[in-house]
Amino acid sequence: MPASTQPAAYGEAARKPNVLAPLQETELVTSKPVLPAEIISTILDFLSAPDLLRFARVSKRMKEMVYDDTRWVQMLQSMNCWSETEARKRFEDAMRRKYEAQKSKGKAANLADVTTGAPNSVDGARKTSVTLFDASEEEQRLKEPVKSVIGMISQNGSVIDGIGTMNLAPGTPTRDSTSPQPATAMLTVLKTVRSIRGFARHEFGRVYGTLAPLYFDLARSRNHNDPAVFRIFREPEHQAQMLAQLKIFARSDIYQGWQNREEKLDAMMGIFENAVLREFEQAYEAGDIDGKMRRFAHVLVILNGGQAGVDLFIHKHPIMFEKLKLGDPMDCINKAPTGSISLEPSHEFFSRLSAAINEQSSVIDRVFPQTVDVFLPFLERIGEDVISEYVTPLLDESHERNIESYLKAVAGIFEQCFRFGRSLKPAIGSGSLFHKDVNRILARVFEPHVDLFLQEELDFFKKKSDAEVSGWERKIHDQDAATESFFMSNINRQADKRDFLSSFKKVVMLPVNALPNIPISSPFSTNKPTALAPPNTNGTSLEIPSGSSQIPTRPATPTLDAISSLPGTRSPSPAPAPTTELAAKAAIMNTKLKGIRSLFSIEVALDLIHTAKSSIERVALFVGLDDQTGEEAKEQCQTIFVLLLQTLGSRHIKSGFDKAVDHLSAYNPREADEHDQLGVAPLVMFLELVNVGDLILQMVDVFFEQELVAKKLTDRNDFLDPSVKEKKRFEQMLDERVAAGLNKGIDVLMAEVDYICATMQKPSDFNPEASGNPDNRTFDIGPSQTAKQIVEVVSSHTKMLIGSTDKNMLDVFNQEVGLRLFTALCKHLKRQRISVDGSITLIRQVNCLPRSL
Amino acid sequence: MSGPNQVIRLMSSDSVEIPVERVVAERSILIKNMLEDIGDSALTDPIPIPNVNEAVLRKVLDWCTHHKGDPPASVDDDSDSRKKTTDIEEWDQKFMQVDQEMLFEIILAANYLDIKALLDVGCKTVANMIKGKSPEEIRRTFNIQNDFTPEEEDQIRRENEWAEE
Repeated sequence: MPASTQPAAYGEAARKPNVLAPLQETELVTSKPVLPAEIISTILDFLSAPDLLRFARVSKRMKEMVYDDTRWVQMLQSMNCWSETEARKRFEDAMRRKYEAQKSKGKAANLADVTTGAPNSVDGARKTSVTLFDASEEEQRLKEPVKSVIGMISQNGSVIDGIGTMNLAPGTPTRDSTSPQPATAMLTVLKTVRSIRGFARHEFGRVYGTLAPLYFDLARSRNHNDPAVFRIFREPEHQAQMLAQLKIFARSDIYQGWQNREEKLDAMMGIFENAVLREFEQAYEAGDIDGKMRRFAHVLVILNGGQAGVDLFIHKHPIMFEKLKLGDPMDCINKAPTGSISLEPSHEFFSRLSAAINEQSSVIDRVFPQTVDVFLPFLERIGEDVISEYVTPLLDESHERNIESYLKAVAGIFEQCFRFGRSLKPAIGSGSLFHKDVNRILARVFEPHVDLFLQEELDFFKKKSDAEVSGWERKIHDQDAATESFFMSNINRQADKRDFLSSFKKVVMLPVNALPNIPISSPFSTNKPTALAPPNTNGTSLEIPSGSSQIPTRPATPTLDAISSLPGTRSPSPAPAPTTELAAKAAIMNTKLKGIRSLFSIEVALDLIHTAKSSIERVALFVGLDDQTGEEAKEQCQTIFVLLLQTLGSRHIKSGFDKAVDHLSAYNPREADEHDQLGVAPLVMFLELVNVGDLILQMVDVFFEQELVAKKLTDRNDFLDPSVKEKKRFEQMLDERVAAGLNKGIDVLMAEVDYICATMQKPSDFNPEASGNPDNRTFDIGPSQTAKQIVEVVSSHTKMLIGSTDKNMLDVFNQEVGLRLFTALCKHLKRQRISVDGSITLIRQVNCLPRSL
Repeated sequence: MSGPNQVIRLMSSDSVEIPVERVVAERSILIKNMLEDIGDSALTDPIPIPNVNEAVLRKVLDWCTHHKGDPPASVDDDSDSRKKTTDIEEWDQKFMQVDQEMLFEIILAANYLDIKALLDVGCKTVANMIKGKSPEEIRRTFNIQNDFTPEEEDQIRRENEWAEE
């Protein structure tokens, strides 16, 4: 603390260290060291308001430091009563008014006042700054009604310095006699604090004058009857409000012993809160919603946000105890046939719960003020206590009984649950994010089940598809010996395929009705001829029934089996019509493709896709959850898809193709027994296989589009995406097999051509003289039998491929066939002896051949 | 020869060399920064502390030695630390039982050497000396001249009547 006789000199000395020592030595007699202003300010930080203001009376310099506005602003800030923006606005307004007044009066002196009157300027002209703000304060006083209230209160206080301050003398109990008016003003004292620069001290004084006596009185009191707070205010609302104010005020109390005071205050508030809670509880039990319950809920909210009241309300809520009335989870299992699950009881459960809760929503609105969100915590509790307890045993139980019904139960109940969430009406106090929050709560209910569910779903699908494929393989193995090569005549294939695909698409799309209109022709079918135009189609197509009727019994049985096995695996939702339509089509298709049944079956592929579809659909329900679970569900969907492709691709199709290629390479035309047929049996079989492979590929493609891309489970363009990668690999695998097979196929085809040439071409064909039978020379204008045969064989095979593989590959294939055919024919012709007469036959023959391509 | 236990020498304003452990000296942010700046030459030459005389410096170093194990003060969590600092721990109270001149010297030295905790203790001690005293008593304690007229002083008193208990 300064010995302020020579403040300037000592200040100087303190700031210049190198001269400090000599100065101290010389003036040792007269002085004590001087503390600079910043240190004094730090010291003042440790003083409470009364000490500070006594200190202000010591000297002018001290007063200046104590009166520094920032010090009081800080105190107000500690009570959250100071708004810097409001202060700035007021300051600017005051400045403008001042400026205008000064301009009109033309008083130059005022300008100086305004500029020096800025807040925080400790060194500014103190006196003038005070007067400056006094003026503006008086203006404000006239404008603000609040002020007049204060003026009324301070009837027995004093109005000093233009500021209404209340004289709340220590004898607080005496104020019992004062009228209710001051009481109301006291209750709102914290709310009426204004942020005016230069007036922080006055505002703080107002608050302090009101609250400090009560505060210290409370800290001194011994029991809960004692504090003046409870004696001045009789209404519980007012008591609560005052206590809340004191709680805030305590934050500005940072001086010695504050812990004790705050503890005391907290204890008092606790006692008060408990008393109110008891009242609230009694009213709750009595069902007095609009009367006491409402009143004490409000009191609690005023006191400390009402958390305790909310907790009590939720905790005691009858719905928590009556949850069994809403429904027994085991109904879902017990009421359904063994091994399956019925979601009807759970649906009822949710609708009853929804009704009950919506009723509660209005009760909450009546009891609690709008500022408190009771409904959401209430729902949270419902989620934890009621829904969880309903769902968990149900799911656990069904998990133990039957995995498939468990999977269906999870997905079904999950959906019901969210429908329930949507059916809730938000209470008035609920925020705008109500439904989002509700979904969050419901998602939490399912959180513990999701992982298990996803895992089970994947396992289930794996097992199912494995069983499907191996079951089929076994069946084929049994029949293998008996299998003969039948093949579908190469007609109408396009139309059949399109037909089949479109009904497939219908089924796939069915549950997602709201999909944007997808063009009937899917992207991959565009490179195909739109219709198989040739007129001969009609004629030959008639052969199908007759062809298949040759083997009437055998195809029927497996197809029926397949159809009857389908509904079990199918997703529960699709309507029966398209499904059966599809099944029928699949049966027809299967009959037609009888020949390749031994290699792979379109039916199995269809089944697999169906299983995958229902799995993915169930899992996809969870994708809507925005957190990690959603991501996991998404991944799981992709895994299922990948798994589908793997099973379908490597296990089913690949082995089929491999087998077909083996057949091809093993084929030796000379050993084959019958050549009257139109084609080379293994090659035809292989080509059919290509067709079916293409069909399956398209199915997978449609499936991918509908289930994964359209539902945003995966991004088609993301080349790192596992499902996209797997799909690419699947396509690649198919292409590779086809290419390898075609390679072999060409060899086989040529071998067949060679064979035909060798066996059917009579040496006399081109050398009629040699036969020595001139009578027989009937000049046949048409091509020879051999040529016809070759043309037929080659063209029937190439036609089969049209539209079933990549166009490029087809071109290459055709070129290759042409080239090889040409060489083969050349070789053949070279071997013949040709006479003049025979040359005509040769020319005819050669003429006829190009047409085959 | 580095390590926390290395010894450096400080030179007070009256040219007395005081050896001190480096950790102790580094309670002072000023010295700490200085040591970081000048590096190893600090080990050979004494560091001049031109603002503080031997007696005060020794006293300050006493405090630093006692508090050398304290966790470094978190930079500023003002509102909270204010709450914490209202009371003075016992050792510090005893430490501050010196005459007023020495007390102020310590505060000044703590301020100069940038030892926040010591500065706070000093300020609190002074604040405790002010607490509960009348203006006249404060003037007498700190030897401050009253430059108010009686009317002015009374005016301030009336302005702030709300704070009277």
